[in-house]
Amino acid sequence: MKPLRVLPVDLSDRGSQRCRLGPGVMSALGLNLGAPLLVSVPGGSLLCTAWPRPDLADGFLQMDMKCVSPGLISGLPAHLTLEPGRLAPVPTPKLKAVKISVVVQSAGFKKHTPPRVVHELVKDMLKGVYVHSGFVINLEDFDTEIKHVVIENMNPDCGSAGLITSKTTVEVTSMKTVRLFRSQLQGHSTAPLGGLEEVSASLREMLELPLLYPSTLNSLGVSCPRGVLLVGPPGVGKTLLVHRVVAEVGASLVVVRGPEVVGSRPGESEETLRTVFERARSAADEGPCVLFLDELDSLCPRRTGSSAPENRLVAQLLTLMDGINQSDRFLIVGATNRPDSLDPALRRPGRFDREVIIGPPTLQQRKDILSVLCERMPVCPSVNLVELARQTAGYVGADLSALCREAAMHALRENSKCAGEQAVGMKHFQEALRLVRPSCLRSSLGRTELSPVTWEQIGGLDEVKLKLKQSIEWPMRYPEAFVRLGLSRPRGVLLYGPPGCAKTTLVKAAATSSSCAFLSVSGADLYSPFVGDSEKALAQLFRQARACVPCILFLDEIDSLIGSRGDGQSPNSVQTRLLSVLLNEMDGVGLRTLERRGTERIAQAGGGEESRDQEQLDCQEVCNKDVMVVAATNRPDCLDSALLRPGRLDHIVYVPPPDQQARLAILSVCTKAMPVDADVCLKDLSEKTDLYSGADLENLCKEAALLALLEENMEASAIKHTHFLRSLSRMSPSLTARQIHMYQTPLR
Amino acid sequence: MIKPAVTSLHQALRKSFQTLENNHKVWRSELEECSPLMVSLGNLAEQLRALSNVQMSGTPLRDFPDLENRLRFKLLQATDTVLTKLNERISSLQSIRDAISNQVTAVVQLYQQSADSLDLSAVTERSPTSPSVADMLEWLQDAERYYRKQFLRRKALLQMLRADDLSLLESAPNRWKSLDSPSEEEQITDTLCRVSFFMESQ
Repeated sequence: MKPLRVLPVDLSDRGSQRCRLGPGVMSALGLNLGAPLLVSVPGGSLLCTAWPRPDLADGFLQMDMKCVSPGLISGLPAHLTLEPGRLAPVPTPKLKAVKISVVVQSAGFKKHTPPRVVHELVKDMLKGVYVHSGFVINLEDFDTEIKHVVIENMNPDCGSAGLITSKTTVEVTSMKTVRLFRSQLQGHSTAPLGGLEEVSASLREMLELPLLYPSTLNSLGVSCPRGVLLVGPPGVGKTLLVHRVVAEVGASLVVVRGPEVVGSRPGESEETLRTVFERARSAADEGPCVLFLDELDSLCPRRTGSSAPENRLVAQLLTLMDGINQSDRFLIVGATNRPDSLDPALRRPGRFDREVIIGPPTLQQRKDILSVLCERMPVCPSVNLVELARQTAGYVGADLSALCREAAMHALRENSKCAGEQAVGMKHFQEALRLVRPSCLRSSLGRTELSPVTWEQIGGLDEVKLKLKQSIEWPMRYPEAFVRLGLSRPRGVLLYGPPGCAKTTLVKAAATSSSCAFLSVSGADLYSPFVGDSEKALAQLFRQARACVPCILFLDEIDSLIGSRGDGQSPNSVQTRLLSVLLNEMDGVGLRTLERRGTERIAQAGGGEESRDQEQLDCQEVCNKDVMVVAATNRPDCLDSALLRPGRLDHIVYVPPPDQQARLAILSVCTKAMPVDADVCLKDLSEKTDLYSGADLENLCKEAALLALLEENMEASAIKHTHFLRSLSRMSPSLTARQIHMYQTPLR
Repeated sequence: MIKPAVTSLHQALRKSFQTLENNHKVWRSELEECSPLMVSLGNLAEQLRALSNVQMSGTPLRDFPDLENRLRFKLLQATDTVLTKLNERISSLQSIRDAISNQVTAVVQLYQQSADSLDLSAVTERSPTSPSVADMLEWLQDAERYYRKQFLRRKALLQMLRADDLSLLESAPNRWKSLDSPSEEEQITDTLCRVSFFMESQ
């Protein structure tokens, strides 16, 4: 048989529970007029009675949605076609008794109407209706306050479908409003939330405790907390968390978005706020209820001295929150990303009792979020979520979901070119990583795009490279070894040495190889004509860097950026103040409470039962929770001694001028891309270039190449040894023996 | 050609349409009797409202003792009387609805008993003078649903009225009027017209 096209139901059939079929299908299925029929459609099923279409045409189906499974309450999907096999006749015995719950429009009706009247009305409405246990009967066409009826239980319970006659006993077990009913229905279909288990558990406890153990709380004589303030940077999932918890508990939700409340006339905003609270109060009468104030900072800013209209709004909110008495059982949840701009009166017990800080997700949380996001995507088994979580330092939940979407788009684009399997691979994620940047670092000062440099591109300096790897790469690669030996990662590294000896390039290479976030600041970023601005900028930089650990913060030319306190400068210069900020940030008393992230974990070595991967993840988190500061200078004598003590810049690495071996290595790296004649002896050159720095050697190669072009008139194909020698004779080394001697005297 | 089962079904259908036609007239006359009662109910509500708005002590009537309460008592008593009368109307509407319901249920039951001997083509066969059995059953059910719906709405409206909610009482006449649905009522008249040839072909 042909599939049937589903058309919308005729107006005259509304509420008749009829299902219009062609006579062909009816006789094929052996249906009489009015035979009950169970139709299964995507998303649920519905019960109706078969009738021939007035025009007797086959191939169409029109169903009245009188008795449907809860999933179909909102209606059928558009443009549906059904196989005739999905229509099945069902036996419907006459029912002796049904238990139902009634869904009514308004709380007022529920409160004022005696149960006897409701029972009488419902019984009349249900007469002659075919019902199915667990299904929802739509009574909207009667146009009364009673909107739906849910069939809870039937007697006799055979075949789970039946007919209600005038002899059926109808028992109303409960009554609820449409709003609560809908919110309970939605609770079954929300996506899970990754990485916020602790916060959501504490929220849920606050919602459920007063409902589950009212007598215990009464006997203890305590009042339950009724206000929660969620604080966190944008995109960590504050709003989503509230929606999710509310759906899980089955509570009703009243949402206030700050700007919606504010009206143009004086007093209008306050009135709206009062009605919102009234609404929450009436919703709380029938079950748990959450009043959610999103973007609270716009609704309730810090009050200023003058009589700004916001002041009245803030005062109204405060009085309303104080006015909640013990019998009103609803929870107020506020969410903001700028807690400091809230009115301080709001943040005290009795109003917002608890403050929950949701920081940028940690490594473990990122992995959880990614696994939740990837659950519904066809992801290649080769995708390593742990690795991906490691690379996404500083990404919040919203960033991660954007990342997954972008990766899926890449996969889609690729697969549309060549028809293949629709799977998202690691390379798609890598491409997406380049597009989606962490929002923690957005508008940050030192955000730099650096061109990748590998260790091999730096000639010589093996000892220095090893030291850098030790302090930057090892803690990230082998965290469990660090934890085992009780090592902590160094706070900072100072590179010093004569100019032109690849200090900056070394840092670039370290950042590239460790694949962590890299922030670099110079004096131009920090200095400002306003007093206090520079210090604020530096502190902000550290805050952002901490939000996306592991992170390298590079301070180039630190001697000019931050001076020394002892060298006769005025004690209140910008440099001195910056120095004190830096010292504090690197080795301060502790973090600000707002920067809390996840829960504090304490790593313990050993315990081999856990999976190795998990263990490594834990160690990572413990090891790399600080910002690594890397500084470079060529005037180490100008630095303040406080900066150089262990705990601040622990590793002080001297980057020496290249010796003969190193010079040879540098020359070979520099001439790699040049067509060098066979007679060029790099060893000879390296012996002749004592006191030349790396930069000098690179310059030498450039000069030689230019000389070759000059002499052989643009057609030069190779650089000869004489070119090198002649350019060498014109140059002088930039370093002096005295200078080097000065660097070699110990710093501390 | 025509099977005996169809003939007996036709007989039953004729009888049902006859009942429908008779009851339809009674229904309308009953409703017409209701509307003046509703108007007086609205009137009483207005008086009650006026009474609660006025400050007796500020009028010359203040010399009469306990006037406000007495007036209120009188008005409430009148309201009660009107509501009692309305309830009588409602119960007679209910009996009309029940008569139609019973008739329709009987026809449907008759069809279900003989359904096995009737195939679908016999049920859906139409002729110039008589509609098909399926159509007529459908119309009967539609009519029955209309009466049920109308009755329930009006009953729910009356049940919801409370003496302490004056605005509800005031708006009752208007809402009562808005419950009339001429288009659906017209459909019943249409149905009766459509089956007129069938009714005459005894």
